[in-house]
Amino acid sequence: MPATVDRVELAVREALKIAVPDIGAVDGSTHLASELGLDSAQVMDLIMEIEDHLDISIPVATIAEARTLDQLCDSVRRVVADNA
Amino acid sequence: MTLLAKFAPLAELRAALAGSGRVPSIATPMDAVHSATEATIDGRRVLLAGTNNYLGLTFDADCRAAAIKAVETLGTGTTGSRMASGNYAGHRALEREFADAFGWPACIVFSTGYQANLGAISALAGQGDFLLVDADGHASIHDACRLSAATTIRFRHNDPENLARRLERLGEDAKRTLVVVESLYSVLGDRAPLKEFVEVTERYGAMLIVDEAHSFGMFGPKGLGICAELGLLDRVDFVLGTFSKSLGGVGGFCVSRHADFELLRLASRPYLFTASPPPAVIAATHAALKRLLAGDDLRATLWGHIHRFYDAVNRQGYRVGSKDPGPVTALVFNERDAAIGLWQGLLDAGIYTNLMVPPSTPAGLNIVRISLSAAHTEADISRMIEALGKLAAQLKPVAA
Repeated sequence: MPATVDRVELAVREALKIAVPDIGAVDGSTHLASELGLDSAQVMDLIMEIEDHLDISIPVATIAEARTLDQLCDSVRRVVADNA
Repeated sequence: MTLLAKFAPLAELRAALAGSGRVPSIATPMDAVHSATEATIDGRRVLLAGTNNYLGLTFDADCRAAAIKAVETLGTGTTGSRMASGNYAGHRALEREFADAFGWPACIVFSTGYQANLGAISALAGQGDFLLVDADGHASIHDACRLSAATTIRFRHNDPENLARRLERLGEDAKRTLVVVESLYSVLGDRAPLKEFVEVTERYGAMLIVDEAHSFGMFGPKGLGICAELGLLDRVDFVLGTFSKSLGGVGGFCVSRHADFELLRLASRPYLFTASPPPAVIAATHAALKRLLAGDDLRATLWGHIHRFYDAVNRQGYRVGSKDPGPVTALVFNERDAAIGLWQGLLDAGIYTNLMVPPSTPAGLNIVRISLSAAHTEADISRMIEALGKLAAQLKPVAA
């Protein structure tokens, strides 16, 4: 597993803890809306936390299709790769 | 699953917001409207404290007369876009009045305030450009970004340093970036740090557009807004505004200190592909603009109400959304039921306000939004304060 992947997933999970403080156990297939109950505004808060953790800017369209934690991580990895 | 099945959660939300009373808190049916501050709801005459009629101009005698005259002389509608048969002398005169008021060379009028944001933002930033938008911006701003072919990145609400970090990361592309902020946010009533936003935007060579939908008419010399109040009109690139708040009509405008902004008439789809505003709307808006520019009396009355009301609700222990007094006062609650209780209590006391809940509110807050008007009387303000005082004792809404 490349170092970048680890860094992204760690950052996403850290950001999730800050954006949703009372979050329980989550795995990669956890659905952001139906399982975590995140509305669109909370997802945007989560994205800004991830941006701060990784010091990157994430275009809104990049994460529009992400429904699960794994999909979100994949989207963020693409942004990291584009910026590399 | 059918197309309509995905809306089922909205039915649950609608039921929850209906509350215990007979009148729903969303899309509240107005049986009749009697003045800028009075309507009939559910058969009862109520005081309106939940509109955007900040200067009370919807019933101004000159504005009504101008609208009636326009209908009689020019008809009810233009039936064409500004690029076809809908480009009347009134539209052009109104644009000139706005541009002259700002001392700028360019103004474009749009058919609604929503379309002004859509039309200006989506056309200014295109393929290969960047939009940096405040995360708490109005839905019309975020929809404009979706319409635009530019890359959209959000920054933290009212945080110039957060914006600066995003501009820094863009490098040379910062010069192809439009920064989008509002001067006064309509839900919590908080103001943007505009001077800091201007400085950051200039530092990176980007352009700045400021939506003054809720501040135009109330702030600055001649009511031109917060950019004018802060002396920033020579540093801000574009100002957006609406006719449906302080001007008492419907429509929107964008003014610019760049003469080439006029070329957007040929590029902005929300401007090109819709009918132009009806003559009566343009005439009433022009009369309202002249009234607004003519003197400070309405603003002075409104600000007197604002300071009196803001001090009172703070003394009563309510948690208020903004530290800056303004025409909008947001009473904030962590629990939805508490906000619904206050909204219903005020309606029972004959006062209509707005109930706002997530996801349409920032930070998941539940809000009773109260807006004041220059058309309110001192007795109206006293009635609001008295009702809120009684409900504060019952609901114990002390700052959480």
